Amino acid sequence: MANQKILIIGGGPGGLEVARGIAELGYEAVLVEKRDRLGGTPDEASYAALTPDLRPAEEALNEMIEPVVNHPNVEIMYNTLVHDAEGELGNFRVKALQLGKEVEIEAAAVIVCTGFTHFDPGRETQKYGYYEHDDVITLVDCEKMLKAGNFVRPSNGEKPKRVCFIQCVGSRDRQIGNEYCSKVCCGIASKQAIEIRQHVPDCKVYIFYIDMRMYGYWENEIYWPAQEKYKVNYIKGIATEILKKGDRLLVKGEDTTLRRPMEVPMDMVILSVGMEPSGGTKEMAKIFGLNQNKYGFIETTGGPLDTVSTNVPGVFAVGACTGPADLEDTVSMAGLAAMKAISAMRKLAPVSA
Amino acid sequence: MPVDKNQIVEKEKVVVDGIELTAEWNRMFEQRVVADYDDSVLDRITSIAGAESLGWCYQCGQCVPVCPVDTVGGEYGPRKVYRKVQQGIDLLTDPDLWKCTTCANCLRVCPKAVNMIEIMPAVREEAVMEGEGVPEELQEAFENTFEYGNPLGESQRKRADWVKETGAEVPILKEIKKPVDVLWFVECYPAYHARGKEASAALAHIMNTLGVDYGILGTEEKCSCDSQRLAGETGLFEEFAEENIKTFGKYKFNKILVTDPHALNALRKEYPKYGGEYEVVHYTTFLAPLMKKLEFKNKLDYKVTFHDPCYLGRHNGEFEAPRQCIEALPGVELIEMWRCKANSYCCGGGGGGMWLDGFMADHVQERLSENRVKEAIETGADVLAVCCPYEVSRFEDAVKSTGNEGKLLVKDIAELIREAMG
Repeated sequence: MANQKILIIGGGPGGLEVARGIAELGYEAVLVEKRDRLGGTPDEASYAALTPDLRPAEEALNEMIEPVVNHPNVEIMYNTLVHDAEGELGNFRVKALQLGKEVEIEAAAVIVCTGFTHFDPGRETQKYGYYEHDDVITLVDCEKMLKAGNFVRPSNGEKPKRVCFIQCVGSRDRQIGNEYCSKVCCGIASKQAIEIRQHVPDCKVYIFYIDMRMYGYWENEIYWPAQEKYKVNYIKGIATEILKKGDRLLVKGEDTTLRRPMEVPMDMVILSVGMEPSGGTKEMAKIFGLNQNKYGFIETTGGPLDTVSTNVPGVFAVGACTGPADLEDTVSMAGLAAMKAISAMRKLAPVSA
Repeated sequence: MPVDKNQIVEKEKVVVDGIELTAEWNRMFEQRVVADYDDSVLDRITSIAGAESLGWCYQCGQCVPVCPVDTVGGEYGPRKVYRKVQQGIDLLTDPDLWKCTTCANCLRVCPKAVNMIEIMPAVREEAVMEGEGVPEELQEAFENTFEYGNPLGESQRKRADWVKETGAEVPILKEIKKPVDVLWFVECYPAYHARGKEASAALAHIMNTLGVDYGILGTEEKCSCDSQRLAGETGLFEEFAEENIKTFGKYKFNKILVTDPHALNALRKEYPKYGGEYEVVHYTTFLAPLMKKLEFKNKLDYKVTFHDPCYLGRHNGEFEAPRQCIEALPGVELIEMWRCKANSYCCGGGGGGMWLDGFMADHVQERLSENRVKEAIETGADVLAVCCPYEVSRFEDAVKSTGNEGKLLVKDIAELIREAMG
């Protein structure tokens, strides 16, 4: 009889939702996670509140983790890294290292949920001086500070009076090689702007942008309240460079609707860094022979009508390992992948009703 | 060197040695680099009750092409106002505060519902209270209204003199001492302005012919003050509203008929807040269904184009009645201007604009009324029909100033009907 287990690689929101779905449908899942805990990037990078509903990330993740760790149908393998695979739909044999010990997992189907990594603003150019100026931080750094409830200038520990976000850092950039929009940064910057205004009410917050991409309900749930209720200033035109002037940062750019150059002093600058494929994503693509697009994300084959199938039958991909994705995308893809994996398995070994 | 703001000259047209400098060169007079965004100004302006929505603008720019002030080179529009204020320019002391005619064309297209019809009066009220930067001619209209009961500075005792002067037979409620069906609220320009009086006499003749049971308040009537309110004089508006409501209370009537769309707006939308709830109709709305009862002796042979008053059309939703009145006239061909009905252009008189012509001349390349008259002429019309008492004089002046004298007549719809009746 063919193997009836489904292997899930990655214990972030995508992997967790896949595992829950498979288990609740009465099938067995093996969830492999490289860290010693679940929760993925939102946990690892200490996200404070989720976008768009500003729900505490920890609380939401626990709600996802709890039904998985307690489900008899899910086996979780922590500290485990997949390094080799062979076989095909119905009969994958996957090799992994668990704390240095070789293990082999047999599975009928594989669902890759290895996510993304945040763009490193110092990787290609030093345009914004991320590694040069203490007070230039990223969305990720900001998220950590917000979670710690201590939003201060890294340079002197003081509460900032003026903070700006610069959008599209590492995204929509041919020279960097990331031509895509990272999809979530406009929403996350606006969400963080709201949180900064809540934490430090006398701090002025500015968002310098090319286009605000607040699709769907993010428009009225984040963007409009940020501007209308929290008085966040949106200014069209992103900064070109950041100079140090005294103990402040001078943000230089163009105010495009005024058609004038701007040189505005700021206490802190937050770079809205986008998404790139994680190391794990690139590694899994290689191991399973999955097609990658030019940016390194796993290519799904069905266009808009099938967002999880790959070129390898029986291997599916979920969430930000396929390209920029928000939580809504990831969780929705997870349900779809669980369904597709199970139906592929059932086609091989029909279950008598 | 810091730039002294008082030294900055912003003009739409600068001519040096006979050469006109474009706006591009003109901008060189401004400090070029944006050195700061002082959002305390935006905070302050949007904290004024009624002005909150200015802070909602997301710069889509839909308001600018439909703003009548920008159209005539006023470098204006809600989007631009937001940007200036966001930049730290104080709207309270900026000329922009007085450019808006409250025509509501921006609100019609604004996806964020930034409401200049509420923002402008609210911020202007602050300026009026602080006595800051209120243009002198507007101040004079306020003072005239306060002192004489009308912005023209005419004697209150003479408010019903038009009746005698024009030989019209008009019942005055104080004299007839009986309930009427219709109380005709004549309003200031129809009572005092030479061209207004002619239209009033025409309307009186029409009503008499139709056998309408009506009366006017005569010297008891006071300005509805809607435009003064929109120009920032809320106190004056409240005082006059209360007085007019008291006067209405002395008489029995079923409905109020107004000549002036601004009075329509005040009585219909604002007076209820002060306890005055009435059925209020504009005279064109009143006459449209009665047109078939009139006998017309004269065939007019006019090509007529019609200017929708902002406060009748966009503000109060009446687009059809004036057109029905015009189309009922024998021989008349109605030709529409391309900016008509909901997208109608503004004559420049609303929201205090009636008393800001001198001020506006410094900020625009041509008057709004001139822009509109040119459009009317382009349609090939002989007559520009109006039904707001601000418009006759504004458009007649514009016909002259654009060199079109003799090419276009400006007539109130009541005058056209009267003319056809013979």
